[in-house]
Amino acid sequence: MEVFMSLTFLIRTILSLLFILSIAVPLWAVEPMEAIKQTTDKILTLVTNPALKPPSKTAEKEKLIRQAVDERFDWEEMARRSLATHWAKRTPEERKEFVPLFSDLLERTYMKKVEDYSGEKVLYEGETQDGDYAVVKVKIVTKKNKDISVEYRLKKEGNNWLVYDVSILGVSLVNNYRTQFNSIISQSSYENLVKKLKEKVELK
Amino acid sequence: MKIICWIYFLLVVCLITFSYPCVASSSPEVFISTSSFEEPALLEAEVEPIDPGKATESLTYLRPESSLPVQFVERPTRVAIANAPPAPVEAEGDAGTIPDPIEPVNRAFFTFNDKLYFWVLKPVASGYKSVAPEVVRVSVRNFFSHLTTPVRLVNCLLQADVKCAGIETTRFFLNTAIGFAGFFDSARTGFNLEKQDRDFGQTLGIWGMGPVFYIDLPIIGPSSLRDFLGFIVDVSFDPRTYLAFYFATISYANTGGWVLDKINEASLSLGEYEELKRAALDPYIALREAYHQYRQSKIGK
Repeated sequence: MEVFMSLTFLIRTILSLLFILSIAVPLWAVEPMEAIKQTTDKILTLVTNPALKPPSKTAEKEKLIRQAVDERFDWEEMARRSLATHWAKRTPEERKEFVPLFSDLLERTYMKKVEDYSGEKVLYEGETQDGDYAVVKVKIVTKKNKDISVEYRLKKEGNNWLVYDVSILGVSLVNNYRTQFNSIISQSSYENLVKKLKEKVELK
Repeated sequence: MKIICWIYFLLVVCLITFSYPCVASSSPEVFISTSSFEEPALLEAEVEPIDPGKATESLTYLRPESSLPVQFVERPTRVAIANAPPAPVEAEGDAGTIPDPIEPVNRAFFTFNDKLYFWVLKPVASGYKSVAPEVVRVSVRNFFSHLTTPVRLVNCLLQADVKCAGIETTRFFLNTAIGFAGFFDSARTGFNLEKQDRDFGQTLGIWGMGPVFYIDLPIIGPSSLRDFLGFIVDVSFDPRTYLAFYFATISYANTGGWVLDKINEASLSLGEYEELKRAALDPYIALREAYHQYRQSKIGK
């Protein structure tokens, strides 16, 4: 009898815990690391989906991957930080033209990398959060006995965490583009930078 | 032969001693006095504030300020700024930029290395890749990395990192004993002991020396004055160097080994350089900044 009693008690505790958890989960869902995990899982299921494997489906797959990435990345913030001091000098029209060009270049470049995915493990190493800013550390374990550490920098927008910079092996994308953009603008002009960007994007 | 060895040793000692003044001169006071006020403003112009209170601050920096120098390549004070201890906000990943006074020379060597990669290294590495399966190439990588354990161990000690030295020593014995003389990284797969990437350029950085300026070395690739110095010192910790000194015949094998090491590494990272080039608007600057940031992040650890 006693065994039975303790069993019901156990079940009751588990059930009540589950109930509490089910309420708490929506609150957890907005954590930065969870945000990165969701997007990564989404992309990985797309990449590994056998239905999207044939070459005829590549365009569709790329579109879906882009959608998943666009949901998580704040391209305007990324462009703003990359142009740094030059951003303020741009008219709203110029900014509207620049942001999609920039995101297009990045997406096209890294699409190939994503499509080359061959079962590398993604380890979530931790997050640091400070107000509306957060850093999520991820390690990609390759089979080549060399791990790749990736850091996502996120900013809270409303109830959502959006990525504004990615560092791969300590090399920040925004910092790298900032130096390039600054050098091109100072040596020629902003117009020339846009021309170069367009050439790059069209070249694929 | 022994005389050459001694000369070599003396050269290394000299290099270490000469690097000291650089270390000594890198105290923060020097930087404050040598750097002008507008340049830090540019460096901090677009720092990513993790503190929300600073968010508004960075936005104000974004307003057009004609007084801000857009580029400051020829300024002598740049070295000081690159050496300056990073501001707290910069710890977020903004390593600043590296001085590049010999840019035309570097660009020439960049083009040389670029051609060397596409015309020689890539075809050879691709051929090698098609012959040798990945398991073999990873084993070759492990073997060379095992041979250079003394380099990492000495630098662990010079950086006063006992844990790192312990890991490297344990790894050496484990991989020698059960990793078939280093062909398998059993210490990593079986005992979770990661390889500790340490070199003398990094050690100098930890001692407080800045990168001084950027050099794109032919064949070797991106480096800085500090890291090139470190590279020379590391060669003296490399057991392969001494093998070559004592047995003249081995020096051929040694050169062969070095070439194999290079081709093997290239075969394992084919496509990475192409990707960098594809994403970059100015591949030279992209590579330079990537190198600098990568090194800075290694020193920050």
